[in-house]
Amino acid sequence: MMSDRIRGLLIAWAVSIGAVVTALLASLVVVALAGSSPAEAAQALFDGAFGSTNRTAAMLAKAVPLTLAALGWVLAFSARRINVGLEGQILAGGAVAATIGLLVGGVPAALHLPLLVLGGIAGGALWAGIAAWLWVKRDVNEIIATLLLNLIMVQAVSWLVSGPLEEPTHTLGQTEPIAATARWPVLIPGTVLHWDLLLVPLLAVGLSFFLRGTTAGFRLRATGANPAFAAYSGIRTARVSALALVASGGIAGLAGASLIGATPQANMADNFSANYGFEGIVVALLARNSPLGCIPAAFLFASLKQGGGLLEARAGVPSGLVLVTQGLVIILVAGAGYLFERRRTRRVTAKAPSQPLPSEAPASDPTR
Amino acid sequence: MRQAEAPESPESSGRGFLRMQGITKRYPGVVANEDVTFEVRSGEIHALLGENGAGKSTLMKILDGVAQADEGSIWIRGRQVAIRRPKDAQQLGIGMVHQHFMLVDDMTVTENVALAAPGRLAARADLAAVRDRLRRLAERHGLAVDPDARISDLSVGERQRVEIVKLLYRDADLLVLDEPTAVLTGGEWQHLATVLRELARHGKSVVIITHKLGEVFDIADRCTVLRGGRVVGTVTTAEASVRDLVRMMVGREVLLNVPRAAAEPGAVVLEVRGVHLRDDDGRTRLEDVNLSIRSGEVVGVAGVEGNGQTELVDILAGARQPTRGEVRIGDVRIERLDPRQAAAAGTAVIPEDRHRDAVALSLSLADNLTVKNLGESRFARWGILRRQAVREHCRRLVREYDIRVPGIDVRMRQLSGGNQQKAVVARELDRAPRLLIAAQPTRGLDIGAMEFVYRCVNRHREQGGATLLVSSEMDEILALSDRVVVMVKGRVAGVLSGAEATPETVGHLMSGAAEAMA
Repeated sequence: MMSDRIRGLLIAWAVSIGAVVTALLASLVVVALAGSSPAEAAQALFDGAFGSTNRTAAMLAKAVPLTLAALGWVLAFSARRINVGLEGQILAGGAVAATIGLLVGGVPAALHLPLLVLGGIAGGALWAGIAAWLWVKRDVNEIIATLLLNLIMVQAVSWLVSGPLEEPTHTLGQTEPIAATARWPVLIPGTVLHWDLLLVPLLAVGLSFFLRGTTAGFRLRATGANPAFAAYSGIRTARVSALALVASGGIAGLAGASLIGATPQANMADNFSANYGFEGIVVALLARNSPLGCIPAAFLFASLKQGGGLLEARAGVPSGLVLVTQGLVIILVAGAGYLFERRRTRRVTAKAPSQPLPSEAPASDPTR
Repeated sequence: MRQAEAPESPESSGRGFLRMQGITKRYPGVVANEDVTFEVRSGEIHALLGENGAGKSTLMKILDGVAQADEGSIWIRGRQVAIRRPKDAQQLGIGMVHQHFMLVDDMTVTENVALAAPGRLAARADLAAVRDRLRRLAERHGLAVDPDARISDLSVGERQRVEIVKLLYRDADLLVLDEPTAVLTGGEWQHLATVLRELARHGKSVVIITHKLGEVFDIADRCTVLRGGRVVGTVTTAEASVRDLVRMMVGREVLLNVPRAAAEPGAVVLEVRGVHLRDDDGRTRLEDVNLSIRSGEVVGVAGVEGNGQTELVDILAGARQPTRGEVRIGDVRIERLDPRQAAAAGTAVIPEDRHRDAVALSLSLADNLTVKNLGESRFARWGILRRQAVREHCRRLVREYDIRVPGIDVRMRQLSGGNQQKAVVARELDRAPRLLIAAQPTRGLDIGAMEFVYRCVNRHREQGGATLLVSSEMDEILALSDRVVVMVKGRVAGVLSGAEATPETVGHLMSGAAEAMA
């Protein structure tokens, strides 16, 4: 059985890696068809992400919010709640964090940074909490609620940065930099990489353990696997699901705090999240909802995002190409996953009587 | 074209219609069929009997062209044939009625039959012609089917008839029905049996795949028993006894009617007083239900399904609130019973709908076994699961309750129905409950697993537990209960002591009360 599980994991990895490689190759074919040199484009993409310490650091910095958003998705999805409001929760978390960074003054960094982080979590959790409340009390589908809350938060941030929190000149549509005491310290001097990178392994491992090794995680998985069964087993499924949504928003809000407090400019501008909330969902898809898998998946997407910058300048290829690659990855992973699931179901069906049972045992026969 | 060779008299092509000779089918690690020889005559009803996993389905998949035999040959009317695809099987006149019907719900009967008919689409699209022939076929074989009815408006029994008509329309000579009664009520089964007999009289061959002996004795002329992938024997039903067939099927004597010590009822464990339930549509589901069960006592609730039993179980399990009335477990009056409180008060539940309420198919066996133990300190401290303790506990349950699995990490989905049910029974009874609510506890189980569940219920009773057994199987109620409560239309129509309860007295109460209320 154990070997079966390991084989399953290996196949899952092979599917993801195969999809990525295929998508990259296909993108190069697109480059060739457009009349540019695929070799040059590949080189530019690679250099863009890994060509210098600065670029690698920038790539890693992008991986932080991507991973966190993906983990947020995985947490909610383990209870089978679809949180497509990660973007709005990132913005909400960032907005609270920026407010704390701007308005709270005269406190030491040892207090101010934790405040910023907690504020971010609280902001994201609160924003997701609205959707959770609507779902529990008013039976509003959480997909719709979270999606629409995104739109509201985009406008709210716009209003904040061009209104109450705008910098004194009122020309740039952004806030002033937040207090130095509220910022994440720089990890590699001279680069944009901050210590918030530590959140990536911490939260990925933490979530992995939470889901497998704690009673709360068990209740979450049971609720996601079969709500009727979970309820019959004495689990308060509505509460568990709502809390999963709220916690998911909290992780997204943490990403928002990083986008404010772990950047060189350290301020809040219009639309500062730039789609991390949606790309995080794609990362989770590529990781097949495994918390640890989110790390490599996020690094891949961060590399594409970062590497795309050089494509246009060096190879004359529109940086939009990386969107093509991303799109291909999504289609391939989803498609391969579907085929794989079907194949596996069939294999289990065919193999079913093969469990090493005594001959008169009622072996499984899922076909009926 | 095939009609030309289809003989009107079953004898004209020899005795046998189908002969599967020396069929062997191996799957990695197991032999599903080993040297199986199976013969069906024209005009006979032949039961293929065996427990789950005995190889019945594999054999029929080979016949249907879904799977290929590794060894062996198939002969139809004395000629060897190759069946590589389901289409080959169709052209040879072999038709299957699967347990899960292959019908398009939004289409009419005629449209469904046309879809499944052989030939080019253009020929099939002449719906008027299809409808005509369909009507003639249905009349000839005594199948009441309205060609214009939409499938979604039909009952399960009617849908099954549509499946049969589909096969007749394709000129099938051999009809294979997979567990035909799994979805039928008793009355519908009688109707189906009549139809099948009629088909056999017209020279068609019928095979029913089943693990229920009742069906075999109801209609089968002959019966082939499979066990562990091999043929145990083929017998003429009229010359066989239930006991013979059970021994062939299970490989040992099975005692469903275990002699039990006389009941020694103790203190009242469950007390239901004046429970009413009105559903969301305002219909009364339960009306003034009174019930009490003492420790060491099994109370069986008999009655045609849909007369309030499901609702009563839901209330006692805490999954639903009564509109009015009182439930006491032990000395505690439970105001608003929820599943947690019910469990805390010592109630164990074997829910009626296993896949919906009792298991999570996508989780592991270990997860399914421990889902109700999360609050116990031996399994979790500070919210952290104690992995070693959990795993040891699961391994012990697997051993003690004879759950046959390669390990505790298998997905629940991969277990047979019998093993899934054993897991549910293990989870519920291992907590030594005061009260066991068992709803249809042996539904879908083969006879070996059934015996196991009976033993568990009896052991619970001997240990002084109280049991409420809800079952639509009269034999089960009579074999296990100390008292029998008959429910009709949401009311208790009568209570019989174990000595008074016979199929006649219980049946009389069921029908008598129904008439009195009508």
